[in-house]
Amino acid sequence: MQIAIRHKLSLALGQGIARSVQHVLLTPLTGPTQTVREWSIDMPGIGKAASFIDAFGNRAHLVSQTRPEGELTISVAGIVDTIDRNGVVGRVPGDIPPALYRRPTALTKAAGSITSKFRSTPKTGQDRIALLHGLMARVAEVVGGGEQSQSQDGQSQSQAQAAKPPAADYAHAFIGAARALDIPARYVTGYLYAEGDEPAALHAWAEAWDGGLGWIGFDPLLLLCPTDRHVRVAVGLDAVTTMPVRSIPVVGEPQVLSMSVEAAQ
Amino acid sequence: MSATPFDEMHNADGSIREPYLILEDWLKGQPPQALSYMSADAESLFRRLGITFAVYGSNEGTEKLIPFDIIPRIISALEWRKLSRGIEQRVRALNAFLYDIYHRQEILKAGRVPEKLILNNSAFCPQMMGLDPARGIYSHIIGTDIVRTGPDDFYVLEDNLRTPSGVSYMLENREAMLQLAPELFQRYKVAPVETYPETLRRTMESVAPGGIHGSPNLVVLTPGIHNSAYFEHSFLADQMGAMLCEGQDLFVENGKVYMRTTTGPERVDVIYRRIDDDFLDPLTFRPDSMLGVPGLFDAYRAGNVTLVNAPGTGIADDKAVYVYVPEIIEFYLGEKALLKNVPTYNCTNDDERAYVLEHLGELVVKEVHGSGGYGMLVGPASTKAQREEFKRRILARPDNYIVQPTLALSTCPTFVEKGIAPRHVDLRPYVLVGDDVRITPGGLTRVALKRGSLVVNSSQGGGTKDTWVLED
Repeated sequence: MQIAIRHKLSLALGQGIARSVQHVLLTPLTGPTQTVREWSIDMPGIGKAASFIDAFGNRAHLVSQTRPEGELTISVAGIVDTIDRNGVVGRVPGDIPPALYRRPTALTKAAGSITSKFRSTPKTGQDRIALLHGLMARVAEVVGGGEQSQSQDGQSQSQAQAAKPPAADYAHAFIGAARALDIPARYVTGYLYAEGDEPAALHAWAEAWDGGLGWIGFDPLLLLCPTDRHVRVAVGLDAVTTMPVRSIPVVGEPQVLSMSVEAAQ
Repeated sequence: MSATPFDEMHNADGSIREPYLILEDWLKGQPPQALSYMSADAESLFRRLGITFAVYGSNEGTEKLIPFDIIPRIISALEWRKLSRGIEQRVRALNAFLYDIYHRQEILKAGRVPEKLILNNSAFCPQMMGLDPARGIYSHIIGTDIVRTGPDDFYVLEDNLRTPSGVSYMLENREAMLQLAPELFQRYKVAPVETYPETLRRTMESVAPGGIHGSPNLVVLTPGIHNSAYFEHSFLADQMGAMLCEGQDLFVENGKVYMRTTTGPERVDVIYRRIDDDFLDPLTFRPDSMLGVPGLFDAYRAGNVTLVNAPGTGIADDKAVYVYVPEIIEFYLGEKALLKNVPTYNCTNDDERAYVLEHLGELVVKEVHGSGGYGMLVGPASTKAQREEFKRRILARPDNYIVQPTLALSTCPTFVEKGIAPRHVDLRPYVLVGDDVRITPGGLTRVALKRGSLVVNSSQGGGTKDTWVLED
């Protein structure tokens, strides 16, 4: 599938700033599940930015501005060809050792309510894939709130649904649980081509390691393995190491001004 | 405490060991009172130079003078050769280890060091993965802590690969001795330590990023005047002709690091940073850090500046990794370790913990991430209440402590109130790693001034001595 992406976001820096500097992770790389045809980032300072590969294999930009406007606009556009490999990303040359992705972080604490079911489940061969699918379902159940909201009295089901947690919560819960079960797991940011209700933010999901297949994607929010509708942008330990834009200074979260992820014909 | 401690000046039969013969003769020739006068002179000299240090947690005036003992410690050329070969071996192996664990992690795959101990360790810095520092060196400035228990018995206590301090004392102690006892330097051929700042400069220049025209621009990055080692930061910058900067004096633009100067921005190539990893760059590490430079780590990652030492070196001097250093040396160099490790008990092992809790009165307990003698129990000098407290702490968090036997540290003659008496010492030689490994002959000798005390830390009542390595 060929996917065209246009994404515009704004970042409030505050007034009267002498200098600002950003770490930008908004460049998808060609890999087993996708080929990047065209890609561009437009923002003040990008022309002279330092571009490098970060610790997790992502293409990063260090961008800076002197006496910037109080608000920074970043426009991203490109075309990516994707193929459906049932979520299997496999092995990429130069990838860091998977064992590193067993490291717990503050955002990926394991919830006992998720892991307890799987403590004694076999973790090798086909059993491992089955376990990871089971884990994905359990995460969707627990993070989606299906369980707790039953017991709440006046809270209606629709209220719980309206406040559906962001994709990051699902991904972190999955990763935390996988790591607690001694399975390397990493956080993935990316774009999602979704007919109808489009997300107003970058999507996030997880990848877990299997000695045979390599990295396999799991999207616990959508309860499926990533398909050709998913465009991978960055991987890391958690949402902090993969944040699309980190800035100093910064006032508040980056705001999405517009985003379109469409099938390009 | 079992054996009598090794006396570096006297043989067991009371005769004088060879390196100390001239000193003995000189001491005999001093009129009564002369040493007292020299001691007073030394103190006023240090006050004039302004060498003070801050004691954390002390509320009676923050700045103190570290007591200086006027009797030098003397190491023969032969002893030094053995010692420095052992230190060089360790430093080479630990830099190779750092390169490996931030790349392919062969030593973990081979199972020679437990994977979890490294990868889940808070001192391991994931952001360093795959980064290629200039010449493959991570730790350029090292201060290896050594203790001696016999004529040929040297133990490494700690490797100190992050930002070891104290080198300014080594230099000032020599300066003071040259003024106080110039005649002794006529009679002894003492290897110079004064070359350290120049060697530091050459070391930093040798790891500058590629593509620089002319000589690289070097700076020392300090957390500021409230840091306990601020004197040393400014002293070293001054001695090697580098600028002393705080985070706010530097900025990152277009991926490169610049220093604000009165004549406009000046590009910076190599930074000797005395700021801890967490505070180095709020864009990559702690976002609330006011001490660092936003974007500095990315500029480093992009190959536009060198950080001395690299972030993440702490994983190689972690107290829990320490026990594996002999293994690390064998793995990378294919050699046996020349210097000994202090035997260390692992409190997460049931048998070892049981032994430790039974024998706390004879052992030394250290916090895995502690330093400077804080959070430490020295069994023989402890009270029952302290031992009970540590017992409780070890049981609560066995992985947070390492435990070692109390070593009979060697003693050196020291000038105390009642004249000259033996006091326990340790030694921190300083190592620089760039285009070569260079160890300054000597180092900082710390001395426990209290009779019988084994705690040499300046924050706990220790003093220092000039350390002489004799030339052949």
